[in-house]
Amino acid sequence: MSENPFEVLKEDMENEEVYLKVNAMHRVRVVATLLGSDKIKSQLIPYFETLLKKEDDEVLFALAEELGNIAQIIPNQSSCLLALLEQLAGFDETVVREQAVRSITIVCGFLGDNEIANTIVPMIIRLASNDTNFTCRVSAVSLMCPLYARAGNQKEKIRQKFTELCSEETPMVRRAVATKIGEIAQFMDKIHVIQDLIPVLKQLCQDEQDQVRLLCMESLMNIAKILNSGENKTNILPLIIQSAEDKSWRVRLALSKIFADLAEAVGKEIADSSLIQIFSNLLKDTECDVRVIAVKSLARFIKFVSPEKLNLIVPLLQLLSKDPFSQVKQNACEVIGQIASLLPKEYSQSKLQQYLIDLMADDNQDVRRNAAKSAGQFAAAIGPEALNQFVPFLKKCMDDPKWRVRKETMQTIIQLALTVKNPDVFNKQLESVFVMFLKDRAAEVRSMGLSQLPALIATYKQEWAVGNFLSKCVETLSKDVGSLYRINALYAIQQISFAVDGPVAQDRLWPIVQKCLKDTVPNIRFVSIRVAKSLSKKIDNQQTLNQIKQAINELIEDPDRDVKFYAQEALQN
Amino acid sequence: MNNKAASSKQTPAVRQQPQATTTTSQNRTPQPIIQNMARVTDPKHVPKEIRDQFLKKIHFCSQPYDFNDDTKNVKEKQERSQYLQELFDLLKEPNFVVNLVVPHLDLIIEMIEKNIFRPLPILKKTATNGEIGMEDDDQLIDPAWTHLQPVYEYFLQLIVNEQPDVKSLKIFITHSFIQEFLELFDSEEPREREYLKNILHRLYAKLVPRRKMIRKAINDCFYTLIHETYKFNGAAELLDILASIISGFAVPLREEHVIFFKTVIIPLHKVQTCQFYHEQLLRCSMLFLSKDPTLATFLVEGLLRYWPFANSAKEVMFLNELLEVLEVCEISKLEPLIPKLFKRLIKCIAGPHLQVADRAMCFFENDYFLTILKSYKPFTFPLLVPVIAQIADTHWHKVLQESLNALKTILKEIDYQAFDKALNNKDPKYLYIIQDAKNQKKDRQKIEEKWKNLTKQAIQKNPNFKEPIVPYSDTHIVGEHNGLNNGNITIL
Repeated sequence: MSENPFEVLKEDMENEEVYLKVNAMHRVRVVATLLGSDKIKSQLIPYFETLLKKEDDEVLFALAEELGNIAQIIPNQSSCLLALLEQLAGFDETVVREQAVRSITIVCGFLGDNEIANTIVPMIIRLASNDTNFTCRVSAVSLMCPLYARAGNQKEKIRQKFTELCSEETPMVRRAVATKIGEIAQFMDKIHVIQDLIPVLKQLCQDEQDQVRLLCMESLMNIAKILNSGENKTNILPLIIQSAEDKSWRVRLALSKIFADLAEAVGKEIADSSLIQIFSNLLKDTECDVRVIAVKSLARFIKFVSPEKLNLIVPLLQLLSKDPFSQVKQNACEVIGQIASLLPKEYSQSKLQQYLIDLMADDNQDVRRNAAKSAGQFAAAIGPEALNQFVPFLKKCMDDPKWRVRKETMQTIIQLALTVKNPDVFNKQLESVFVMFLKDRAAEVRSMGLSQLPALIATYKQEWAVGNFLSKCVETLSKDVGSLYRINALYAIQQISFAVDGPVAQDRLWPIVQKCLKDTVPNIRFVSIRVAKSLSKKIDNQQTLNQIKQAINELIEDPDRDVKFYAQEALQN
Repeated sequence: MNNKAASSKQTPAVRQQPQATTTTSQNRTPQPIIQNMARVTDPKHVPKEIRDQFLKKIHFCSQPYDFNDDTKNVKEKQERSQYLQELFDLLKEPNFVVNLVVPHLDLIIEMIEKNIFRPLPILKKTATNGEIGMEDDDQLIDPAWTHLQPVYEYFLQLIVNEQPDVKSLKIFITHSFIQEFLELFDSEEPREREYLKNILHRLYAKLVPRRKMIRKAINDCFYTLIHETYKFNGAAELLDILASIISGFAVPLREEHVIFFKTVIIPLHKVQTCQFYHEQLLRCSMLFLSKDPTLATFLVEGLLRYWPFANSAKEVMFLNELLEVLEVCEISKLEPLIPKLFKRLIKCIAGPHLQVADRAMCFFENDYFLTILKSYKPFTFPLLVPVIAQIADTHWHKVLQESLNALKTILKEIDYQAFDKALNNKDPKYLYIIQDAKNQKKDRQKIEEKWKNLTKQAIQKNPNFKEPIVPYSDTHIVGEHNGLNNGNITIL
């Protein structure tokens, strides 16, 4: 019964299958818990040492992970694991190294500042100075970031080593520092960032490898966050200018991707004075992928610049909305929709409205879809007076051959109706488009309209619901347009019934449903049963209630199984 | 440095509409330089007009154009290819090269750099790639290629040309030049890679003082492939160059080269895209082994360590290589690897993939391999005999079953007694390899039980104990627990 845990582990590790060994390795924490710290040191760790040379990478990866877990079992003595982890951090296989670095960070969480300065820092320096294995140096870079803050009086040493590694000849190491330089900056005093990091960042931004320059972009943004406006102007801005003109489109793309965040990081002043110009060039880039991403960032970027500067963007938007590449146009639609609320009304109307309307008739369905969506935002920003100009085009969009476009348009119409809250405008402009959902070919569009009906009824009240709208439903029901449309109309009536009071339900709605209960299509009959049932909850008049019951009762002997089922269900409760 | 500043100042907007400078004036004087040069009496003193004409044409060819759009700058592009042809013709006359080309090598190299050093395009693929190992029939074509090809051809001829000497060329072939040049090897255009290969090869041959630097840069390229990107289109071409470099190594090998073998050649086997360059890799490996046969055991160890998982095409390649490498191994050095080697072979033979099994069976047709087998009889017989005997009776494929029976006979002939002894072993330790999952599960039960008990004890000892999660189960041995799901992996 009482097995020696260490022996069990060893036995299981004798397995031939790698996956079983990995499993065994993940159970090491059971062994560690039972052995206790002394035996961990005297038995387990020497055993692990022997594994390092002969085991597969998968097993070592598991080992690296579990060492972090063992640290949690013996927090006070976890430093005994460091020697092993240091070796793993220099391993050939990337995933093993990365996992070892994570586990070292866990161990460091349990160490005092003294130990960090006396054990960890020398270890990092040792790894960073390993000239034969670049893998050690890469791991050292990853370790410097989380531990710099706790390095105490050894900080200078780490800083020095870090900057040294930035000029490293091995591209792998330079790529590692380019990724981490923004992160380590977060832990440094500003003076050191400016004195030590900025010069090497400049150097990395001019690296001969575009991969390195590309990785710098994110770091650039992170460093910009901790500097003030003046410091950003002298240090970061030149780098942004330079990267925006980089000969590699991949670098320009990486910059475009983070441009909005960069604008936020450097602050309004710089964004206003310089970034707009730089960004304009990215928006006009020769590489279409850069433009696509740049326009995407533009939607967020416009929030970080002053409204008066936005008129510099408008001509660009005009250009972009005619771009040969449809994804650019697609993203441009979004920006046009959003920028309208930031610009003076007349200005956007005169400069952008026509472009948006043109986009609504684009060849590409995704562009049309986004344009329809943005048209809503645009019109909402301008106010009701813009509506009569958009509605004809929205109506056209409802005739679009692609249902996705129609669905988006439907949603736009509903959103507009809910924001203007003006019965006059609604009746004159929007309603006629909205009721098109009753007759739409695509179920998606019909149910879209149906799902928003309650909100509309709440806004435009019973008068509209049992007035115009109900007549449209009746029209659909009476014309033989196919059972699916009729079912949809019935559900719409059900929605109306929730909003009206008893007498209205009894006088206006019930007669309609009553007729439908006798429909030739079984599906309509059982939907009618369900609608009738919800009507009956509203109606107080006993006579009508009996009528309803009676009508349902007649269907209990219906030839259709489903109708029978729903009839029975309705009568039961 | 200067070049860089100049080229990076080219804003994208400018690039869109390259200024076609001096087009009109050039059009009126279409006289080729070569004719003018032919008229020069004293070749040492090239008249200024000709020199200017030459420089103007080089300058013209340095202009960037949008080669992806055939409708733009049609005239300029035409002119450009005409000039390139002229420049190319000049190389044919040693006289002209010495007096006109060599003095302006700086501008010529700059022209070449401006043309070929460009961010590689992503060739838009119309359909997904064919099956791994299949020949891809419709090659992707970079629309810019027709305009790049003359530049590459010119560069190649320039290097091949005897006139530009090492000293004058050397200054331009810097570390950053080589690094940028190597990045181009990732091009998806095979013809471009072929040129790159030839040019780099000649450069290496010609520029002896730059050899070490070039080797180091190639090393870095491979490190990136092994450790970071896992995919590099030009790996096969680079290995081609390496093969000839390796054949030039002096014996005994320097330590630097042995390290290269261990840190690059062996790990290159584990990269997922290994299939695309395995042929060249194998050649390099074998060249190394011909220089130093003691490296063979390291390679066998590496092969066994990085054995492919769930990739039978790669397994067949590994088997081919393994057999070749074993033939170079000294039998006595193999001892520590014997268990792993034979277990692997048995797994291949008993595995579900016919081609893999067939390749593994081929080992037993090899005399040297049989010698290895005989030398380690006390280990190999107890392992092989029971397993082979069992699958020889039950194998689903007739041809393979026949060869398994033949193998049984071979083993019997080698040592009848040892064969019988191994066959009658009541507790054949290695039969598990061919057991089905159900039987294996039974064997696992005992130890699983032990773990369960231990876990209970651990919980008793420490109430906060978190039960370990084991990643794999009998039915599920492919998982995300290998840390490879870090987004860097290209799935083929």
